[in-house]
Amino acid sequence: MVRGIQSFHPFVLLVYYVLIIIGLMLYQHPLFLLGALFLIGTFNYILDKGRELKKWSFMIGMMITFIILLTPIFNRRGDQILFHFFEQPIMLEAVIQGIMIASTLAGILAIFVTFNIVLTPDKLLYLFSKVLPQWALLTMLSMRFVPLLIRKVKEMMSIQQVKGLSFNQGSVHKRAKNGMQIMQMLLTNALEDSIQAADSMSARGYGLQKRSNYNAFKMKSKDWLTLGSLMGSSIILLFGWAKGYGVLQLGPVLETIMLSGSEYIYFMTWLFLIGFPILTEGKEVIHWKYYQWKM
Amino acid sequence: MEILSMENVGFTYPNSNDEVLKNINFTINKGDFIVLCGTSGSGKSTLLRLIKHDLAPHGDLQGDIYYKGMRLEDHSPIKRAKEIGMVFQDPENQIVMDTVMNELLFGLENMGYSTPEMNKKIAEMTQFFGLNGLLKKKTDELSGGEKQLVNLVSVLLLDPDIILLDEPTSQLDPIAAKEFIYTLERLNDEFGITVLIVEHRLEDLFAVAEYVMVMDEGRVSYIDMPEEVVKKLINHPTLSRFLPSTSRIFLNFSESNGTKQIPITVKEAQGWLENQVIHPSKNREKHRGENKKILELKEIDFQYVKHEPPVLHNLSLNICKGEWHAILGANGTGKSTLLKIIAGVLKPQHGSIKYDGKKMKKNYHKTVSYLPQNPALYFVQDTLMKEYKMIARHFQIENANEKISQLLNQFQIYDLKDRHPHDLSGGQLQKAALIGTLLTQPAILLIDEPTKGLDPESKSRLAEVLRMLIKDGLTIVMVTHDVEFAASYSSTSSLLFQGQITTTEDTRKFFKENRYYTTTVNRITRKSNAPSVITIEEANEKWHVQENY
Amino acid sequence: MARSRELLITLSTIFLIVLVSAPLLSARHYMLFSLLILLISFIPFVIRFAKQNLSSRELVLLAILGAIAAVSRVPFSSLPSVQPTTFVIIVTGIVLGPQSGFVVGVLAAIVSNLFLGQGPWTPWQMYSWGMIGLVAGLLNNRWLMKNMIGRCIYGFIVGFLFGWVMNLWFVIAVIQEFDWNAIVLYYSASFWFDLAHALSNVFFILLFSVPWIKILERFKQKYGIFAET
Repeated sequence: MVRGIQSFHPFVLLVYYVLIIIGLMLYQHPLFLLGALFLIGTFNYILDKGRELKKWSFMIGMMITFIILLTPIFNRRGDQILFHFFEQPIMLEAVIQGIMIASTLAGILAIFVTFNIVLTPDKLLYLFSKVLPQWALLTMLSMRFVPLLIRKVKEMMSIQQVKGLSFNQGSVHKRAKNGMQIMQMLLTNALEDSIQAADSMSARGYGLQKRSNYNAFKMKSKDWLTLGSLMGSSIILLFGWAKGYGVLQLGPVLETIMLSGSEYIYFMTWLFLIGFPILTEGKEVIHWKYYQWKM
Repeated sequence: MEILSMENVGFTYPNSNDEVLKNINFTINKGDFIVLCGTSGSGKSTLLRLIKHDLAPHGDLQGDIYYKGMRLEDHSPIKRAKEIGMVFQDPENQIVMDTVMNELLFGLENMGYSTPEMNKKIAEMTQFFGLNGLLKKKTDELSGGEKQLVNLVSVLLLDPDIILLDEPTSQLDPIAAKEFIYTLERLNDEFGITVLIVEHRLEDLFAVAEYVMVMDEGRVSYIDMPEEVVKKLINHPTLSRFLPSTSRIFLNFSESNGTKQIPITVKEAQGWLENQVIHPSKNREKHRGENKKILELKEIDFQYVKHEPPVLHNLSLNICKGEWHAILGANGTGKSTLLKIIAGVLKPQHGSIKYDGKKMKKNYHKTVSYLPQNPALYFVQDTLMKEYKMIARHFQIENANEKISQLLNQFQIYDLKDRHPHDLSGGQLQKAALIGTLLTQPAILLIDEPTKGLDPESKSRLAEVLRMLIKDGLTIVMVTHDVEFAASYSSTSSLLFQGQITTTEDTRKFFKENRYYTTTVNRITRKSNAPSVITIEEANEKWHVQENY
Repeated sequence: MARSRELLITLSTIFLIVLVSAPLLSARHYMLFSLLILLISFIPFVIRFAKQNLSSRELVLLAILGAIAAVSRVPFSSLPSVQPTTFVIIVTGIVLGPQSGFVVGVLAAIVSNLFLGQGPWTPWQMYSWGMIGLVAGLLNNRWLMKNMIGRCIYGFIVGFLFGWVMNLWFVIAVIQEFDWNAIVLYYSASFWFDLAHALSNVFFILLFSVPWIKILERFKQKYGIFAET
């Protein structure tokens, strides 16, 4: 039985991700961003102990370093000079901006890591099939052929290797040519076989009438409830953003990073929005502990 | 009640003058189980496709096909799609979705069913066929037998009255094939679904079928009960090979004068044998290879992925010069992996391979050739000749043109040398690939499942070719699950089980000691009074039958 | 058809020029602007395909070509950044027309991302490959696509354009306050990858476009599919 965040309707999950990504781009404030990063990291840890995130960490790290180093060099706005680098003034504003851009980027990439775990291909295709059924069907067909073709390619490669064709030795030119020979074989072979697949589709009545669409997922009451609270909190946040909360003023005068007054309300709402999967997963854990304790 | 009939049906493909089907007349009743057999090119598949109207080939059709009393084309396409189901030969290529669930849903969605209806139908069907465990699986991860079962079920979900099957078991291993046929029998028995099946592999089907329809050169030559068909075909030059060995061994040793019941099942054949007095004749032993080891595999370990259990473990195997070595084993035991290791494509993590007593060298590819299961994958170039020339260039073969011509003539496909490999028939393609493997004059030829999808006729022609090569001094290592083929032709047999070679023996001895994993003839004879044999040929050599009058 | 084709060629050229040159002109609203252009030039084709009635053979052919484009990495595993995905898409466009070229391009992006994981780059990849196939199809009767040199030029240019568009998602996040020095610096970082892509496109087109076009053409004729394009 799937529990926690993965048990929600795919549509609710998609709304969550869209809101978070928009939020990460709009909220250009160090505290908002760092809070978000912390929660997204936690979310990753809860899902798979951060295993997937680790695979991406090198790329994310590279990009962050790149941005944090380059932004201050090219950006000369602001008036608080920190130091000089090759006779170029490095501004505090630019450094802060670099950090914010880097956090936005890291946040978006890290939330995509959870996206790929939570919104599995079948859920994405389900959503897809509601809007664009023909595209979804085409994608599903293609997804079926991928493992089949990979198996065929590998089989062809080993047959040709006995015949002396090499794919990992020799000049680049030679290897690329041999590889492409295999792709050409694959094309001819797959085209021949595709007729059988098409026949088997026609044999089962494809194209005779409008297709219906299997509903693998149902909106449950908890999905509606969640959708409601997600939308509610994002309306609050949008209102706050429009009034200038959650965006750090860099000029003409650098604003203080500390939050004040009603900004706290928006900050908490923002954390609630991002942290909603953590809350549901946490609830599950407590639930189980309680259940086992009662046994 | 009549469900399907043909009246004076003839068919010609466009741009051709040959009639593929000639004046065909027959009637099938509801609930019949009919096996349609005949040599390749006799028009079986064309006939089947004409019945599945929406897949009918283009061409000139004469006569009428009736379904439930109405002409086929007068039924609505949706009714035809639902009531006339069709399962094809290749289990792989007819699957169009990535998971089993989606595959089953595909046809139902085409028919516009609502979600609750689909849920109900699928729940019912999966319970009946015990598919529960497979529903969420990827279709690509299923075994051949499971794939074909999914194909059958996805057709059954549309609630057909008649199912057409085009060689559905030809790509399956014998155990999966048997199971598939029993499933068909059950559908026929319990639901009265009419079955019309085209098949080469008839050992088990004759026992299940109510009627057998035989096609020869575009005509239906017989439609009759299995026993009657056996009597009529026994002297047919090619079709007699299609008959089950239970009947063939009987007819070989007793005069069929029409009074005796011809055995179809193993039990019936055992019953017949009990009443025979059989003396052993003089024993002639088969030619076996010299006892000189040409290939030695020692303690081979192999795994594809580091943390998964090894495919081969502590495997040792000796191949002697000049022998025809069959390696048998169920699906997924690592037969193909073993072949790839011998071919040098895969490197074992542990163990050694010695060729002629020495370690493998770099020019190993010249001494070992590999004939793949699907010979279409052998060709890179678009004509046979270009392919051979490429091989000749690559291995710097001298007098290449002469050798190529000589082999082409020897295999009788010289006329095809400028054809595209995809335009050849299965048997021709296999020969063409075989020529390619022989160009380098290898000492060892590795063959992967050579009989898959071949009819009995092509099988025996292949065997003749391979025998000829053995005579010329070639050593053959063949991986197969075709028990009958291995028993008839190989000299040595090994069993691969759980990543190890558990036995290697002289083929006859090997099969005689097995009880289940053996030929039909051996199952008939092993506990009888007669000397046990494994093939009809062996019985012909060893038995001297005294008829009881 | 002929006139609407002229129009399409002109329009997509204009869009492309605007999309590529926009960051040099106005960096301020670039993000919104580029997204808008992306949607305007992308959505109509998506909808057009969604409404089309295709036979099972046509649908399966598109699916297979998309899958081939997506798995074409496999035999080149020893050559990083060499893969014929773009080549497959161009050839499809040439033989099966703009619509199919577009569909196979988009499909290749969707499918490879479904297996490797989605990211912010997914829509940009769909866009670039889709457009590469579309334009190859629109020009299939022109000199550019009928002639080997023309095809090579096209392959070379789209190799770089692909890199340009693919960098956009990153630039968008960074660009707000950047001057174009930074952009050039960033683009130069990906220069060698783009060059490899462009050169391998030329290599594949030079050696394999003729047989591939022949194979697909023969298949198309044999089964009478996509007859009207």
